[in-house]
Amino acid sequence: MLFQATQQHEEFRAKVREFAEAEIKPIAATLDQENLFPDEIVQKMGFMGLMGLPFPIEYGGSGLDILHYSIGVEELSRVDGGVGVILSAHVSLGCWPIFAFGTEKQKKKYLTPLAKGEKLGAFGLTESEAGSDAGGTETTAELSGDHYVLNGSKIFITNAPKADIYVVFAVTTPDIGTRGISAFIVEKGWEGFTFGDKYDKMGIRSSTTAELNFNNVKVPKENLLGKEGQGFKIAMATLDGGRIGIASQALGIAQGAYESALDYAKEREQFGMAIAHQQAISFKIADMATKLRACRFLVYSAAELKENHESYAMESAMAKQYTSDRCLEIVNDALQIYGGSGFIKGIDVERFYRDAKICTIYEGTNEIQRVVIAAHLIGKSPKADGKPKKKGALTGERKKIIFKDGTAQEQVAALVEGLRKDGYDFTVGIPLDTPIVQAERIVSAGKGIGPKENMELIKALAVQAGAAIGSSRPVAETLKYVPLSRYVGMSGQKFKGNLYIACGISGAGQHLKGIKEASTIVAINSNPNAPIFKNADYGIVGDVEVILPLLTEALDNGNPKTEAPPMKKIKRTKPLKPARLYKLYVCCGCGYEYDKDIGDAEGGIAPGVAFDKLPEEWLCPCCAEEKDQFIEV
Amino acid sequence: MYTVRNVTEDLYWVGGNDHRLALFENVHPIPRGVSYNSYLLLDEKTALFDTVDWSVCREYLANAEGLLNGRPLDYLVINHMEPDHGASIEEILLRHPETKVISTGKAFMMMRQFGFDVDGRELEVKEGDSMSFGRHTIVFVEAPMVHWPEAMVSFDATDKVLFSADGFGSFGALDGKLFNDEVNFDRDWIDDARRYYTNIVGKYGPFVQALLKKASTLEIKYICPLHGPVWRSDFGYIIDKYDKWSSYVPEERGVLIVYASMYGNTAFAAQALASELCRRGVTNVHVYDVSSTHVSLLISESFRLSHVVLASVTYNLNIYPPMEHFLMEMKHLNVQNRTFAVIENGSWAPQAGGLISKFLEEEMKDIYLLEDPVTITSALNELSSPEISALASSIAESVLA
Repeated sequence: MLFQATQQHEEFRAKVREFAEAEIKPIAATLDQENLFPDEIVQKMGFMGLMGLPFPIEYGGSGLDILHYSIGVEELSRVDGGVGVILSAHVSLGCWPIFAFGTEKQKKKYLTPLAKGEKLGAFGLTESEAGSDAGGTETTAELSGDHYVLNGSKIFITNAPKADIYVVFAVTTPDIGTRGISAFIVEKGWEGFTFGDKYDKMGIRSSTTAELNFNNVKVPKENLLGKEGQGFKIAMATLDGGRIGIASQALGIAQGAYESALDYAKEREQFGMAIAHQQAISFKIADMATKLRACRFLVYSAAELKENHESYAMESAMAKQYTSDRCLEIVNDALQIYGGSGFIKGIDVERFYRDAKICTIYEGTNEIQRVVIAAHLIGKSPKADGKPKKKGALTGERKKIIFKDGTAQEQVAALVEGLRKDGYDFTVGIPLDTPIVQAERIVSAGKGIGPKENMELIKALAVQAGAAIGSSRPVAETLKYVPLSRYVGMSGQKFKGNLYIACGISGAGQHLKGIKEASTIVAINSNPNAPIFKNADYGIVGDVEVILPLLTEALDNGNPKTEAPPMKKIKRTKPLKPARLYKLYVCCGCGYEYDKDIGDAEGGIAPGVAFDKLPEEWLCPCCAEEKDQFIEV
Repeated sequence: MYTVRNVTEDLYWVGGNDHRLALFENVHPIPRGVSYNSYLLLDEKTALFDTVDWSVCREYLANAEGLLNGRPLDYLVINHMEPDHGASIEEILLRHPETKVISTGKAFMMMRQFGFDVDGRELEVKEGDSMSFGRHTIVFVEAPMVHWPEAMVSFDATDKVLFSADGFGSFGALDGKLFNDEVNFDRDWIDDARRYYTNIVGKYGPFVQALLKKASTLEIKYICPLHGPVWRSDFGYIIDKYDKWSSYVPEERGVLIVYASMYGNTAFAAQALASELCRRGVTNVHVYDVSSTHVSLLISESFRLSHVVLASVTYNLNIYPPMEHFLMEMKHLNVQNRTFAVIENGSWAPQAGGLISKFLEEEMKDIYLLEDPVTITSALNELSSPEISALASSIAESVLA
């Protein structure tokens, strides 16, 4: 065993290197400086068969092995880390999950154009509240007839907005953590699917990264990837392989920096000789080369394990973590060898230095890689409980009843009925200018109210609701529709009364904190994803110009409001605790109850292990009966 | 003169009644006493089903020996090893060296633990095994964790008699009457039957459900439990109760109010709530003082009723100890699927409400907490009285829903 790639692999390397040196190297500095995505290069990569390297020919791939893919990413990154990650994100994250978990139809429809390089792929997992911990995923996909309705947003998505096809993860069963996540294939251009601004990144600037926003995006049922609830499994399996791509990228960046520094050290003369011969520099070069060799073995070995269907999750994590950590050391040494020249824009080591950093962060931070490696060696930590920790709404526990059924008129009627049931008497009222802190009810306007004349709608509603008028901060501060003393929020006036009707208010954090003592919050907003709905007791999704007049009319009893009695705080009713969605098992030997959410610390079973996933040798911790002596409750 | 009664032509009750014991299991008060039931079958072979507590062993032996009238005792069937039934095994074995013991493997293990010499006399049976004693064929059915692991029930397939061990048992001495149709069960016995089941077996609902499922396939004419009356009619009545208790479904929509009061102020709030509820048409309201009511009754009531209100003073910055004990018992006995409301009292730092709510939500199963706790500072006043009224309204709405 010589630990060498085959001749075929080395020929392939030479081919990619030639392409990278000829086509990418001359423009790499420009791509970097101007934050440009190399459309033409990516197209050529498609013609060369790079975009579908490890996929079967029948699906438009090149039918080559994982090591070819690894070498491909490495060689591109050796010249430009950004181009390397375009390929890595496309192949490992965009294509692979469809290849591994897709139906025949999905593969034909999506994998084939992706592998041919006609289309670009991407992967949408990360969210603002779900980075290393995918359990925090908030994007939802609700089944509605023959399609799912996707809502939420994703951040830091490599290849967006250039990519055409996205594998997106969303919660299909809420409140059960990662088991409630499913994967979907989503096409660019579908209604409601939009992108945020392209990020202005520190490095890999020839690649593109953006936010994905989903607003009621209809995803056909047949675009569910795998089964419902398999999303987390699919994501983790994808990332296992993705790590080989990132490790290869880090290896390539380090290789490029090393070669550049070595050339420079041989040319640059100080004290009468090339600095390469100064021990201070030669030792650096020796260390760099040693590290590269160690990294390359780790990366290629992980690729070979994957190719041969051996378990490779731990090894790919080791390769990604070790190689990217070493890569940072190598680019640092390379820039140091360059001295002041390396600190100037336009010199490749300066770019490599910036490009390298992301490799220890994305597709699982190196801290998470160590968690993965340690879990393989030691097992899951017994303390880590699998319970999804739901972040509560900023306004505390709320009913979150959104009236969706029927016409706008019927929705308004349902809202009024709910309010009357909660004890609100709309025959009484308070002056419109009652100080916010003393008001029992407020009708409040946000930016969504639109032009100033719509404040008349607010006023009319406030009169019929027996409420004073309030607003969000921008409405008072920027639009100046109301005096500053009338804006509600942490920085403005806090509302401590009973009923708060938020009209066209999206629900900025500081605003929500200012109304958390309200007994009842009503949200009226045209954007169903506005945070206010997660912080309200009742909500109607609709235009203020439609809903406010209807609500005003519904509350109008034809008589002027009589003076309200002294305020009595209305108690908030508690929402029901979500029911347990899994079964408990009890032991016929002693009555001990196995609760998946608790696990069995004594038996080394971490919280979250389902009863049927317990090892066969597991025994009841109280009486040592075997697993088959348990009955389902 | 003996205290035997015929169950069927050749099956006899040979147990005893105990009015001297104050606390069953040294925990639960039994003012109506308790019976320890044992049954003797006189077929071609003779078989005794279970024994009795040591306290009634003498009369039990007299009953059994009188019926045997010199015949050998061929078999002793042990369905349940708990000493209120198993204590006299040794005495039988000593007096009848010819007797073989029929029971489960686990029961034999326990006999050895208790020091009974059964070596060489064991006939271990498993689920579905059967034995013929002549005219009668007895089938043995395992009943693990109802409410001990070794338990089984025996079924006389000939006369359709189910020897149900502790299942369908009750506190209360029989005092001559034997059958459910010889007493007014729904008037005189159900409360003790419920208190017996919920406190002794309450925790093990899923196992009882499993046993009920097995039993539903049998045609049963008699149920012979180890305590209380023998059932020979109206099976639907008692099985419905067992089904509800073991699946934690309330028997009645109604409100159990349990208060912990040191000087009467919390008691007054509890009474005020009871009045407000009745004014709103909810009259199935039952108020208990946690300090003076035995917890076994409170448990029994919490199984019976759909709604529970806990009103507690704060004591050493904690829940009042007897109330804390009641909460712990509810958790241990698996009380679940109930709607709760909480009233707390405290003169300088009311804590009980928050602690009780936390316990209900975190330690117990499927508890719906109707509202945040109502806080009383020392005594009801113009601030807290409307809150009691509001609480009464939401409880009434929930009960009448």
